[in-house]
Amino acid sequence: MSLTSRLAAAWRRLERGHDQLFVARWRQGVRREARRQQDTLRALVLLESLGVDNPVAYETLEAIPYLVADVHAWHRRMGQESFGDAGVCC
Amino acid sequence: MPAIVVALVVAVLFFLGYRYYSSYLATKVYALDPAFVTPAHSMRDGVDFMPTNKHVLFGHHFTSVAGAAPIVGPAIAVFWGWGPALAWVVLGTIFAAGVHDFGALAVSVRHRARSIGSLAKDVINKRARALFLLIIFFLLTLVNAVFAVVIGNLFVANPEAVLPILLEIPLAIGIGQYIYRTRSAALIPSIVGVILLYASILLGQLLPISLAGIAAEDGLFTERNIWVILLFAYTFIASRLPVWVLLQPRDYINSHQLFIALGVIGLGVIVGMDQIVAPAFNDTPEGSPHWFPFLFITIACGAISGFHSLVSSGTTSKQLDKETDARYVGYMGAVGEGSLAVGSILACTAGIAATQVEWNELYASFATASDGAAGNFVGGVASFAENLGISNSIAVIFAAIVVISFAATTMDTGVRLQRYIVQEIAEIAGARVISRNVTIATALAVLIPLVMALLPGGGEAGYTFGVLWQLFGTTNQLTAGLALAVIAVWVTRRRRNPVAVLIPLVFLLAMTSWALVVNLGNFIEEQQWVLAPLDAIIFVLALWLIVEAALALRKGRLAALAGEPEPEPEHER
Repeated sequence: MSLTSRLAAAWRRLERGHDQLFVARWRQGVRREARRQQDTLRALVLLESLGVDNPVAYETLEAIPYLVADVHAWHRRMGQESFGDAGVCC
Repeated sequence: MPAIVVALVVAVLFFLGYRYYSSYLATKVYALDPAFVTPAHSMRDGVDFMPTNKHVLFGHHFTSVAGAAPIVGPAIAVFWGWGPALAWVVLGTIFAAGVHDFGALAVSVRHRARSIGSLAKDVINKRARALFLLIIFFLLTLVNAVFAVVIGNLFVANPEAVLPILLEIPLAIGIGQYIYRTRSAALIPSIVGVILLYASILLGQLLPISLAGIAAEDGLFTERNIWVILLFAYTFIASRLPVWVLLQPRDYINSHQLFIALGVIGLGVIVGMDQIVAPAFNDTPEGSPHWFPFLFITIACGAISGFHSLVSSGTTSKQLDKETDARYVGYMGAVGEGSLAVGSILACTAGIAATQVEWNELYASFATASDGAAGNFVGGVASFAENLGISNSIAVIFAAIVVISFAATTMDTGVRLQRYIVQEIAEIAGARVISRNVTIATALAVLIPLVMALLPGGGEAGYTFGVLWQLFGTTNQLTAGLALAVIAVWVTRRRRNPVAVLIPLVFLLAMTSWALVVNLGNFIEEQQWVLAPLDAIIFVLALWLIVEAALALRKGRLAALAGEPEPEPEHER
């Protein structure tokens, strides 16, 4: 292995280490914030399922398929072990 | 004595503490199990719950807990000599902070990575949750007040540092956007960003920003107080922005600055071979507080800090790959913070002055010591940086930027968190106007510490910064006391020996209560009608905590003797 390729490999290791130590924490924070906003939107769209009248239910109907995919993870995150009628989600 | 000798002795003691005492804690007190499936695996979601390599997780944990507090506290406390300050930092780190940080992590991991506030409700009782909220409210109020004063003082003393700090904001936003929008490695942009930040020091030297022209000599609108008002106006706006716009990128730059500052201190001490010129024990002058018990509330972060339990149980416990990693991450996090405090002690006893006469002038009274604490640290670090060939004028601004950056980010986070706490307390109290209105909640989160921050040195009603700092220390120690109480009850219920947890718990509560009572007497005598009620409220919280801890421990012991199973944790609502 030549000196150049060794240096390049060492640089890549340094980049990976830096990424894990500093950048991963930053990205995690951004993902957490994105998820928080997504959770708020999901709660609003699923208001009817939570027993609350939603005046814009008709308008948000189309968004439901995009938001139910991870509804199980969401209700567990919110502290509810189950969601909706038995068998609907879990 | 050469500073390097002290640094080496402390390093050996910290190593022994980690090697033997944390091993005892891991096996006999917290009984870590390598086969236990941690929440990072059982609840993995790729965001909060994510198994992480223990060295990387230690880096995340350390950068979250380290800030300006372990710098300022020791910088004030060396007023009593370097001996008591160093002894408390070393013994506190090994026997109190290590037990506390490691314990909070271990207990949280066994309770689905729940936060210490929720754990207080589960392990002690529902009243403990309300107690936790109140302690955190006062902790955050005082955090925001003391750091506003620290930054104000540094801006007045170092007008050349103002422009680099202002430029740090667009720089942080730029780096944040780069990382957000690209998937490539961020090492080079980060290096460029840090270089640009420090290059702006030259610009700051050309364009120093001072408010002396518009400020009054004394009274409410002194230069320091105008900076304090501007800082709170900034935090009011900054805390309303999404975290990814400004707070996170600033934190990202700070995490680099932390390692750079530690490197400069370490290398500067080794290369310069500076001598400690401060006395080991300094006689307390008339009118200044005695070191016993005030040392133990002046140095909170760096010896033991309740804030760490919030980080341990808030984010770190969700990422622990194996339960046995808690020993390395939790205990070493405390050791890292202790090392930063030792760096501050060395900077303020060896770096800051060449002779004891010079040092005595800087630490002539408690008021002088506390008002100049951050500036003394800045001067000391600048001296260490000079040992590495950096010119004094640049080194001073470099060190000021590091401290101001840490303190400003802490204020941003503090006001943000305080807003949530204000809303939660208002919700419990039924004050919906406040709980439902973010602007009013934020205004309250800003105005209360603003009033506290404007009074130090503000005419006849004023008081010294050190007194405000000590009140902050008491709330931090009470947070640690609550976390230690939770850990002690948890350990007792498992029929393990809780002495290792009870000793720091009893010591902390005793010292904090004692200092609060002495201060209360002083405040009433001096007719300090802002501080006296505040001190009295914190003292009532301390008594409440003592009663709850004693009752919970007794109940836990009886339950353990009766062989009752531990109650199931409730779900968050």
